[in-house]
Amino acid sequence: MASKPPRSDDEGAESGFSRRTFLKTAGAGAAATTVVGVAQRSAAAPQVLGPDAVTLALTVNGVARSVTLEPRVTLLDALRNHLDLTGAKQVCDRGGCGGCTVLLDGEAVKSCMMLAADAEGHEVTTVEGLGTPEQMSPLQQAFVEKDALQCGFCTPGFVVAGTALLARHANPTLDEIKHGLSGNLCRCGTYGRIFEAVQTAAKAKRG
Amino acid sequence: MAQETKAKEPTIRFTVKAGLPQAPQTREIEVPQGDIKPWDLDSLSGFEQVGKRHPRFEGPLKVTGRAKYTYDVKLPGMLYGRLVGAPFPAGDIVSVDTSRAEALPGVRAVWVAESRIVRFAGQDVAAVAAVSPEIAEDAARLVRIEFKEKPFTHELRAAMKPEAPLVFAATESPVGKDVELKGNVAGPTSGRRGGGRGDLVKGFAEAEVTIEGTYYCPVHTHAPLETHGVVASWEGDQLTVHASTQAIFAVREGLAEALKIDRKNVRVLCEHMGGGFGSKLGPSASGSAFAMIACQLAKKAGAPVKLMLDRKQQHLCTGNAPSALITVKAGAKKDGTLTAVHYRSHGSAGVAPGAGTAGPAGSLYANNPNFLAEEYDVFTNAGPAAPLRAPGHSQGAFGIESAIDELADALGMDPLEFRKKNESSPVRLAQYDPGAKAIGWERRNKKAGQPATGAWGALAPGRTRGIGVANGNWYVFAAENVGAQLKVHRDGSVELISGCQDIGSGFRTAMAVVAAEELGIEPRDVTMRIGDTQFPEGPGSGGSVTTNSVAPVVRLAASQARAKLFALAAPLLGAAEADLDAANGKIFLAKNPAKSVSFKQAAAKMPGETIDITAQRPKQYDTVRRDLAGTQFAEVEVDTETGAVRVVKMVSVNDCGLPVNPLTAESQVIGAMIQGASWALFENRILDPNVGTMVNPNLEWYKILAPADMFEAVSILTPVANLGNNTSTAGIGEPPIVPTLAAVANAVYNAIGVRVRELPITPDRVLAALSEARRRA
Repeated sequence: MASKPPRSDDEGAESGFSRRTFLKTAGAGAAATTVVGVAQRSAAAPQVLGPDAVTLALTVNGVARSVTLEPRVTLLDALRNHLDLTGAKQVCDRGGCGGCTVLLDGEAVKSCMMLAADAEGHEVTTVEGLGTPEQMSPLQQAFVEKDALQCGFCTPGFVVAGTALLARHANPTLDEIKHGLSGNLCRCGTYGRIFEAVQTAAKAKRG
Repeated sequence: MAQETKAKEPTIRFTVKAGLPQAPQTREIEVPQGDIKPWDLDSLSGFEQVGKRHPRFEGPLKVTGRAKYTYDVKLPGMLYGRLVGAPFPAGDIVSVDTSRAEALPGVRAVWVAESRIVRFAGQDVAAVAAVSPEIAEDAARLVRIEFKEKPFTHELRAAMKPEAPLVFAATESPVGKDVELKGNVAGPTSGRRGGGRGDLVKGFAEAEVTIEGTYYCPVHTHAPLETHGVVASWEGDQLTVHASTQAIFAVREGLAEALKIDRKNVRVLCEHMGGGFGSKLGPSASGSAFAMIACQLAKKAGAPVKLMLDRKQQHLCTGNAPSALITVKAGAKKDGTLTAVHYRSHGSAGVAPGAGTAGPAGSLYANNPNFLAEEYDVFTNAGPAAPLRAPGHSQGAFGIESAIDELADALGMDPLEFRKKNESSPVRLAQYDPGAKAIGWERRNKKAGQPATGAWGALAPGRTRGIGVANGNWYVFAAENVGAQLKVHRDGSVELISGCQDIGSGFRTAMAVVAAEELGIEPRDVTMRIGDTQFPEGPGSGGSVTTNSVAPVVRLAASQARAKLFALAAPLLGAAEADLDAANGKIFLAKNPAKSVSFKQAAAKMPGETIDITAQRPKQYDTVRRDLAGTQFAEVEVDTETGAVRVVKMVSVNDCGLPVNPLTAESQVIGAMIQGASWALFENRILDPNVGTMVNPNLEWYKILAPADMFEAVSILTPVANLGNNTSTAGIGEPPIVPTLAAVANAVYNAIGVRVRELPITPDRVLAALSEARRRA
């Protein structure tokens, strides 16, 4: 059982700007729509959640899941720490690298930049939901064949972003691929082979 | 002499075909007794698995998000740790008050550093462990640090000034007593494989053309995507640590020493790791003891603790590649013969020594008789450096290879012809033409900065292009204290067990290829178990040693298993063991392959349940050469209106011995070019001159090359039977990043006709160089 989180005293004078402060200042609904750009919630006034743990109903990889967590918990941390879906990675924790990319109603979003609470009512798809090691998606298969990965830490993010790209463009040009993946970073240096993998999967899809 | 000579270890002799395929040398070699005949040039045509393209085994796990990294490990009752670093660059800690953090519900343990002296921002001060990452973050913010700041020095050139605040007092010098420390400058240190030869005065007197240039390279951070981190758990006195590391055995040894416990009580595991590039070779990190701290927090709390650094800490305290300020004076005769090179380098590895860069200058152009390298370490109040992919060599090659280009230009010679003329390596000499052909060297501007003198086709308005070349060198290093275990079970299934970790190089797959080649089965038939200190010892993945340290013992173990299987198959085939061969999952008569039994049929005949072989790596023996040669070409496009530089294409030509799995070897080469191009054009760790903390400790202001910046990258592997071990393998992780900074800079020069001598080559520097050129013209 998680201990009760701090209430009034959680930011000392020396503290920086935390997600908790951000939540208080901006309000959950406003923050998420600004950052992620998902469809507006209903016109009703934003509901105030927390700071104590709340129970959320999420739909992840087609399965209804219930999680109890502090409302300040990001979608990424909810997936990783509460639902044991560790495919999405925290790399920069500020939306700069795409390591945490998941699909929200089919659109690629950075799950470190949105709150789990704001994923309620949306379909969340993680890299785990796109295929299994035994039954990979055509894009996952192409990543393996082209060796579009080295350490593999950025790979889930690229696979998810590439999946969203192929949903938009059945036959993307190289420039469209570069643009479509431009929110993701790789440090080992696999970009060229990632582009090839996306092209190969697009071809496979066209048949 | 009366002294008894040491008994020579027994050896066996083999005749092999070594060197380059186009210039094979027949050599008699001596290998340690117990070893087997090494693969050589004649083996190339007979390989069934080696040299073929094998997708990496862990691919399906990684692309589906199932691969478990240290960062993904979750143990029952696990706490989340968080480190608190010094928020200032130099001074003394007066007090650390953790009472408010400890009082926070959910906090289970705190740790406070003993040291009170701070020399860089981000240095370990305190740490907390709590039931959730969110509470740990809150608790870290509640730690109060009272401190007294001292003046600090943040950057190489500032630190070299006589009035700069001292990072170390003379009595605290971190360099040996034989090295002089003047202010913040220590040296000259002996050259990193540089040193000197000949007579500089004589060499420069003989020179008909002399140039001198000064080149600057900023601090570059490793920025692996998985930050440093561990999950530590105790069961009684047994410590288990999941670590994101390049060297699990070094983690075990380092933690045992720091915690004063026996090595046998420490087990370190690393199934997958998210990048290291040299920064993850130690037990913790160069600027943090986070792993030891996590173990102490876990002990105190009586629960497992996961402690992953955040991105900012990753930049501040886990190492970096030192900055370098390099001055090269070089002279040649009018016919292009080099007569003298004087190489001087100052670099800052922060609060640590180790900023030497003279390796390439000392190793390239070894025919030049007169050479001197002088290297200096300059201390700054910044996190200590760590090895970064061919430590010091990318910076050093940027210095020497820029100067070589300038000298060729002053002589009016083609920079490629000038390099060929002074080349001392037969391998690199053979690499120039395939590389030049692949890049289209003949298209370059014959007069730098004048695109009309090149062959570019139609260029967009304001755009110009250029092509550059640069060389790199690396060395044949190998770890010898390496073992491997191979099991063939009665049902014919095969396990290969090595403690060594896979850092993303495809190690796992390459070792299965080697075992499969020897056993005549498919690599997929070999189940790999790696990354565990309870398995036979493996090397740390540094120095490009992993493949050529482990492959020979894997092959030895597999060959012993093969002999046992042949003994089982011989009676079934009514033949002598010596007449058998193995391929395609079958054991057969070499002279009549139709007469065969399957691998499984032979295994079913074994007495007992397993053929279980553990082997030790035979000692390294003489290599054809000690150096690994490489050369690289770059084509860039420069927008002369905005100053933006774009790499269009790069070609890297490398010697990696006999490549085991070209698919993954090429990935490493291409990755090195990308990382090097990123360093040349974008990366720069900026410390604030007023407060001494990092201005860009993230991944959007510490910019690394992104998909939109990607170029066409070509890897050409030139196989060389290099010997030294029974597989003739050599490393490839580091060599291809050595020439890259210089290749890009030389291409920019060819494009714009002005040299940008300071990295990264950002638009402002390009525009400044262009306007300076216009002013002079």
